[in-house]
Amino acid sequence: MSTSNPVLIIGAGVAGMTAAVELADSGIKAILVERQETVGGNALDLYKAFPTDDCFYCFEGNRWRPGIRKCFYRSALIDQPNISLKMNSEVNTISGKPGQFTVTLKVGPQYIIPKKCTMCGLCIEKSKAFHLLSPQCQPQAVVYTPSINDDGAKQAEEECPTKAIRLNAQPTEETVKVSDIIIATGYHEMKPVNMTEYGYGKHPNIITQLELAKIIDPNGESGGVPVRPSDGKPVKRVMMVQCVGSRDENYYPYCSKICCVFALKHANILTQERDGVQVSVVYMDIRTYDRYERYYRTARESGVEFIRGRVSLIQPGEDGSLDIVVYDSLLNKYLKFSVDLFVLSSALEPPEGTAKLIESLGLKSASGFIGIADPISENEVVVGDHIYACGTALGPAEVPESVTQARAAVSKIIQSRK
Amino acid sequence: MTEMEEQSGPPTTLIDPIDMSKLDTKFREQIKSMPNSEELSACFACSTCTAACPIANIWQYKPHQLIRMIILGMKEEVLSSSEIWLCLTCYQCQERCPQKVRVTDIFFDCKNLAAEEGKVPSNIIGLGKELLEKGQLYTVTADWEREDLGLEPAVPGLSVEAVKTILKETRTNKLVEGGE
Repeated sequence: MSTSNPVLIIGAGVAGMTAAVELADSGIKAILVERQETVGGNALDLYKAFPTDDCFYCFEGNRWRPGIRKCFYRSALIDQPNISLKMNSEVNTISGKPGQFTVTLKVGPQYIIPKKCTMCGLCIEKSKAFHLLSPQCQPQAVVYTPSINDDGAKQAEEECPTKAIRLNAQPTEETVKVSDIIIATGYHEMKPVNMTEYGYGKHPNIITQLELAKIIDPNGESGGVPVRPSDGKPVKRVMMVQCVGSRDENYYPYCSKICCVFALKHANILTQERDGVQVSVVYMDIRTYDRYERYYRTARESGVEFIRGRVSLIQPGEDGSLDIVVYDSLLNKYLKFSVDLFVLSSALEPPEGTAKLIESLGLKSASGFIGIADPISENEVVVGDHIYACGTALGPAEVPESVTQARAAVSKIIQSRK
Repeated sequence: MTEMEEQSGPPTTLIDPIDMSKLDTKFREQIKSMPNSEELSACFACSTCTAACPIANIWQYKPHQLIRMIILGMKEEVLSSSEIWLCLTCYQCQERCPQKVRVTDIFFDCKNLAAEEGKVPSNIIGLGKELLEKGQLYTVTADWEREDLGLEPAVPGLSVEAVKTILKETRTNKLVEGGE
């Protein structure tokens, strides 16, 4: 019967990776499909992930098998025989009946064979078409960009000491039969281009929180020094605005849940670990649920300025700074600031393709995210017959929550196979 | 859409923003360094203090707003405000504060700072003068109330002279004489 069929996991972010490894460890084959060229999803850009403030690269390695050396298990995703990892790939169609799905996958060309690649860097020297996303990237391999066409690539292919490069690799289409589907498609950070009042996209120093996370990441271009995207000058004053597109009936009616902690985490990093940066946070409500209240308290103690109110107007200054007027509803006064960086805590929205997935599988929608099949059952990971969802595919969630949901989905699958 | 293009500038005449760059960012640290004020920055502006205050409804700046103003650095406005002197010091705000901010004590610190700058309202100076001259604010008279309660006519142990002598040597005298 279907019990020997593998499980399809869509998305190799925090939730998808956890589900894949948990299934594989339980002896169930998993097909992990990822659209991008590295696993890890949005969490890779976080720099430090709450609640432990670990660098996410360590976090992901650590989670899979506690107690065993992290680095060893960075390679688990490609070495674990029960996991079939499909990078640069997408789900094309899903047909069949619950328990016996037939899925066609568009598998991207595998230019680099990760099991052979030693990341020696020879190809990167030969051609610009090769680059290393990060020393800790997963799969552990360089990435090839076919659109950059230069002579060095061919030479690199020939000289690669482990013969890991195949420039003529072609995309393929695969058909697989799976018993269950786990949707772990994650989220997308809304780019608030339509909210003209915030001027996103009009001025280089108006950015989103995920963009800020990349700027302050020590692995980033500036080595973690907060700099203005406009001219690379060090940032002295930062202003953050909460609830951009969230809790807004014109955009997304729900609370994106993690942005408050996300913003406070960044505010704390900027004020405590970087020199001379003053941070102001404009908010409607600070929703640091659960233990995350401590981020809020720490932020206040380290001198982060909190302004309850909304932004009235933004005017670019001549030197790349931004003059911002904020209405302070507690004082009933308008305050005028001059800042270097204006950071929008933008809503988390369902990623591209979610609507199509919901429609093709006949699932419920919860404000655009995947809806729970039976809300009364409180099985929040069960979204259909033999269809599960976990992580931010179900709606905004933090890392531990995504992991818990992934394990819950795996547990449900194991129970159904008894 | 044409509206947007015609917009020539912000309606700055409608609002008169407080320029943050002109505020005293050291004021927060100054207050925090004073006794009982370490918890100042713990304030999360819940307004419990204002809810507790028995007289804040007649204040222009409510207690939570004064704390906000201190944190923002509005030194001039806080130290010149009449509210810090109107405070009854009933300590209800401080008792109820969920973040253990010593609101009343912070207002005492503000009063001390205001006094150092000579910003003491004339009625307070008047009270100081009264204390300096009489050693007490209310002269206790041998009236029927004391008699009804079976108390002796004079308050036992009341030594107004000692109070007068002490106050003369303290800042109260300097304030009354306008020396500060």
